[in-house]
Amino acid sequence: MFQLIKSSFISPLICGLNNSLLQSVAVTPIAVRNYAARKGTRERKRKAKVKVTVEKVGFIPHNQRDKEKFLLNRPKRKFDDSLKSLPVDNVYVQKYYKWRVYPFAEAVECHRETHHPDMYNRPNANLQVTIELNMEAEKKTRFVDNFTRIASMPHKFDHGEDRSIVAFAKSEEMQKEAKAAGADLVGGVELIKDIQNGRVSLQDFQFIIAHPNILPELVSVRGLMKRRFPNPKTGTLDVDLPSLINKFLYGVNYSAVKDEYEKDFGIIETVIGTLNMDTKHLEENLASLIKDIYTMKPKRDGPFISRCLLLSPPSREKLKVDYSLYIDCDSKEKVESVSDEEEDEKEVAANA
Amino acid sequence: MIRNLSRIIQPLMQVHANLLNPSFVLQQQLRTTFILKRKWPVPLHKNGLSPKRLRSKHYVYELVKDTNIEKKPDLNLILTQYVEGLGNAGEKVTVGATYGYNKLLLPGLAVYASPENIEKFKDYVNVETQIKHSSPYAQMTAEHLSRITLSVVMNKENPWTLQKWHIRSSFRKCGYTVPDEAITIPDKPVKGPDMNLEDKEFYVTITINNLEKANVRCRIHHWSTEVSNRIPYVSNFWLESTGPVFLEDAPTLDAMPRKTLKES
Repeated sequence: MFQLIKSSFISPLICGLNNSLLQSVAVTPIAVRNYAARKGTRERKRKAKVKVTVEKVGFIPHNQRDKEKFLLNRPKRKFDDSLKSLPVDNVYVQKYYKWRVYPFAEAVECHRETHHPDMYNRPNANLQVTIELNMEAEKKTRFVDNFTRIASMPHKFDHGEDRSIVAFAKSEEMQKEAKAAGADLVGGVELIKDIQNGRVSLQDFQFIIAHPNILPELVSVRGLMKRRFPNPKTGTLDVDLPSLINKFLYGVNYSAVKDEYEKDFGIIETVIGTLNMDTKHLEENLASLIKDIYTMKPKRDGPFISRCLLLSPPSREKLKVDYSLYIDCDSKEKVESVSDEEEDEKEVAANA
Repeated sequence: MIRNLSRIIQPLMQVHANLLNPSFVLQQQLRTTFILKRKWPVPLHKNGLSPKRLRSKHYVYELVKDTNIEKKPDLNLILTQYVEGLGNAGEKVTVGATYGYNKLLLPGLAVYASPENIEKFKDYVNVETQIKHSSPYAQMTAEHLSRITLSVVMNKENPWTLQKWHIRSSFRKCGYTVPDEAITIPDKPVKGPDMNLEDKEFYVTITINNLEKANVRCRIHHWSTEVSNRIPYVSNFWLESTGPVFLEDAPTLDAMPRKTLKES
């Protein structure tokens, strides 16, 4: 204790001593530059001084902070059960095994069972299809854009949408055929003039289709149609008007939507018929839809569709069906032939 | 002199051919071995001169591999008795190392699949536990099924009598694949719609692979096509017993295990 007090007494004394020492040192001349630095040097140093600007970060809501962390932990929407094995028993718990792939007819029959009057009592419920897509394009960093299309349905059903069509054709026969097929408004050169005059508005019609022989006259109203101008790429310009009208009136409207963050995952949800339709008709409708989807396939190896599920509300059951039956998968065959060749080569090598 | 040396060495080489085989000489302990790398490589010494002194920096090492924390290869074992989810006695299995050591080798449920053991367990039958199992997973499936409460959703307006396909599709909706021939429904007919049967339990018997049997608790729920007529959903309805459809089933139903909240 005593020692502590002693040291506290002594320390200011030492400090005083030090100060006097410092003063004596300050008297001795040290090298101080009394002249200005070179002009160029000053300029350079001024330039080198970087202005530090503090950017104001506005208030970020608490639920939007750590967005990257959230995205990292977000469960993947792509489905993969390739690591699971195939069931060996006749009774099994589905979640421990690979998804069962139902034949189309059986899947429809299963939905009919759940919608039977004994159970859900909805025998004419819609048969929906959910198709998951691999949206990767030619490069891994590029993705297929969202698309909306109309797939023609070989067997009609009520899709519950109002669709209005205006059709252009030169010859009267064609116009009659188009009218008979169900177009709301059919016309030739006079109709084009009416549109130019403003007597007919194109805004009232959802779809504009045309026969190629009227195209030169139609060019005059191109400005009014803008992106809806008939062209073969969107399938609105064709020689066979009745079938075209049929497609746009009774076809099913679907759109592929990419996931906001998982850009290579796309999903299509649409209807292919009702449960009380004939099973074969339903299957043909699905085949037509899948063929239409495959026209959007990017030029790369591997499948475009990753999974195809049939469901029918109010039941939440989803049954996987094999979509590859409805497309001629040349890519698959190619892969197989290549592997065959490789095996042949191996055999040759082994024999040598 | 070199000639003489080679004369001496050659017979030696023939005798100790193994000594010149690098894999024999470099035989090392694999477990608890650390593979290191010098951070600053030692320079080569001049021909005919003595090697240079190593500096302190030459003793700085970088870790390349710690073999102790490496993943050990899978084990090939032969089961000495039936193991759930793996196989019957005498079956050859490949399992992860830790699981194999702790759960199979230590309790004596398996032995290493060495050539001698393979010969020994060729046609091995465990006499003590000679219960036959149709597959490694059948017993697990049976136990799983006996715990669940299957919700059988039936219509509230249309008359129905419970049939096998009602049970089959109810199972499918809940994620179980059960074929018709595996289902045994109660002998007495269950008829509806009957609001006295709402939330009442009965059991069906499932026969897996024509061998393992499991009783599954089923509960009738009436569902109306009209939204306004539907019975409100009860969350965790399987937690509580609500009485049997047939009174004589009550003891069997009470004896069956029930899922708890922690399990579900």
